[in-house]
Amino acid sequence: MSALSAHVLDEIKALPARYPQPRSAVMPALDLAQEELGHLTSEAMTEVAGALQLDPGYVQGVATFYTLFHLEPVGQHRFYMCTNLSCTLRGAEDIVEHLRGAIGVKAPGEVSGDGLFSYEEVECMGACEYAPMLRLDHRYHYDLTREKIDHLVAERRSPRADAVSESGPEKPKRAPRRRAPKQDG
Amino acid sequence: MAEQRGTVGGPVLTAWFATPNLHTLDVYESLGGYAALRKVVTEMTAQQVIDEVKISGLRGRGGADFSTATKWSFVPKAHPGPKYIVVNADESEPGSAKDRYLMENSPHALIEGAAIAAFAIGGHQAWIYIRGEYDLPYELLRDAIAQAHEKGYLGEHPFGSDHPLDVRLYRGHGAYICGEETALLESLEGKRAQPRSRPPFPAVKGAWGMPTAVNNVETLSTVPWIIRHGGAEYAKRGTEKAKGTRMVTVSGDVRRPGNYEIEIGVTYRHIIEELAGGALPGRTLKVFWPGGSSAKVLPASMLDTSTDLDGLKALGTMGGSGGIIVMDDSHCMVKAAARLLRFYAHESCGKCTPCRVGTNWSVRTYERILANEGSEIELALLDRVSQGLQNGRCLCGLGDAAGWVIESTMRHFRDEYEEHCLHHACSVQGALAHA
Repeated sequence: MSALSAHVLDEIKALPARYPQPRSAVMPALDLAQEELGHLTSEAMTEVAGALQLDPGYVQGVATFYTLFHLEPVGQHRFYMCTNLSCTLRGAEDIVEHLRGAIGVKAPGEVSGDGLFSYEEVECMGACEYAPMLRLDHRYHYDLTREKIDHLVAERRSPRADAVSESGPEKPKRAPRRRAPKQDG
Repeated sequence: MAEQRGTVGGPVLTAWFATPNLHTLDVYESLGGYAALRKVVTEMTAQQVIDEVKISGLRGRGGADFSTATKWSFVPKAHPGPKYIVVNADESEPGSAKDRYLMENSPHALIEGAAIAAFAIGGHQAWIYIRGEYDLPYELLRDAIAQAHEKGYLGEHPFGSDHPLDVRLYRGHGAYICGEETALLESLEGKRAQPRSRPPFPAVKGAWGMPTAVNNVETLSTVPWIIRHGGAEYAKRGTEKAKGTRMVTVSGDVRRPGNYEIEIGVTYRHIIEELAGGALPGRTLKVFWPGGSSAKVLPASMLDTSTDLDGLKALGTMGGSGGIIVMDDSHCMVKAAARLLRFYAHESCGKCTPCRVGTNWSVRTYERILANEGSEIELALLDRVSQGLQNGRCLCGLGDAAGWVIESTMRHFRDEYEEHCLHHACSVQGALAHA
């Protein structure tokens, strides 16, 4: 049985035409696979390699290099908590400690019992003026406090239709979780 | 919604930032946006564009500080195949957040600048390589590119001309090393992002083997202003040797962290104390990194250092990507250095042995020191490893940067290192408890 659905494999096969050289499609293809499965399994990477006519080892070599590709299961909502210097100076370590308790995990990469949450401690995410900050569900959240963490967690445990998340200066609403790589390239 | 921090109406890059919805084409255009691209493709030659940018004195704002016009002129005019502009939007230098700020507020300025640059090198395509975590800027750029196509500002006949121009997006996936231009090109080609040996330089053999100029977001976002107002007008700003304005990000222990557009030549005291409000209540500034974590740290006694090249070079440091990190007297220098070395060890791509081994060796040494297991041996070891990382022993600057963290913190704060290593104590307690 195929790890990836037929329509995702079709999308992957269409990607190389968008780039001057077909191999540039490998990361957008892995993106599609990860969007469907939540993380990259060996089977999925092999299928991506087959669809792009690349060696499976090569595809795995790319996937293991970049931190946004996940090779193990992750929570449905994944906190990327910045712990680099600017954030740490403003209390990121305390926020991480509180986050662990709020989502019920003890270490980075661990998935909460209900499967809803996991977190990573990551390096600078380029929003140092809003430290401490994190990325959650494709959006940045700024000037973190323990209360803000509690709110983000509660919001995802009991999502409300009118919930509004912080995302910087007012801009168009974000695209659905499933990105559209076909608009790249 | 988060408040907008820092400049909302500076002299060049941020002149229009106070205008609501600047990210939409209609608003951008109503202020004069795309007039520069129109002028370029309908009235100017590629050489005239390069000449105008040369007059401006614009230098790369990604950290290398190289003349933008000269970089463009290195791309061979007679090359028969494709030539590319690649926009380095993989901002990852700790302390730097200005490219995100520019893309979120004015995505069309980057698109317009990238298209002008493509025209200037005789090419037809610009690729924006944007870091994967930048979801909002990605979406804004994607929509802005679509708007520019719909209006006929990009495409086969931009503004009715016969010079096709296109701007495309490519997402990175989380690797600091992609900020290095040749590693970025490897990543764009679908490979692990590891720096290339040079020569050949990207101007000769860059993206997909074709001549390529790699420019930073801020650099290209400045270009439309230069075309609209003239290079000479831009060159009136700044200093004799360093023209114009630039963005800086101020973060850490200050009252008003934010992104600010400054005229090159102002002092760090002006930026940190006046723009960013100075130290937090009851605290004293201790150090600042003038250009991201990769720039050698300076003690607060050097706040009167100028932001021009000479001032920084004289002190052996650099303005880098413009990320100014400020730390006050509540934080321990050894713990801060340990935290930064953890970053460099994590982000070392592994290609060069001095960097791969040296950064990890440093982290283990700092761990021993912070576990009160340090001694004179650790002090000497850090000195040696620091030297081994520096002086061009690696293909890119990551090794040098890691070495500079150790060297500059030990040079200015030897007493704190000795307190840790020789007396197993720390008189400074702050938020870096677990560093």
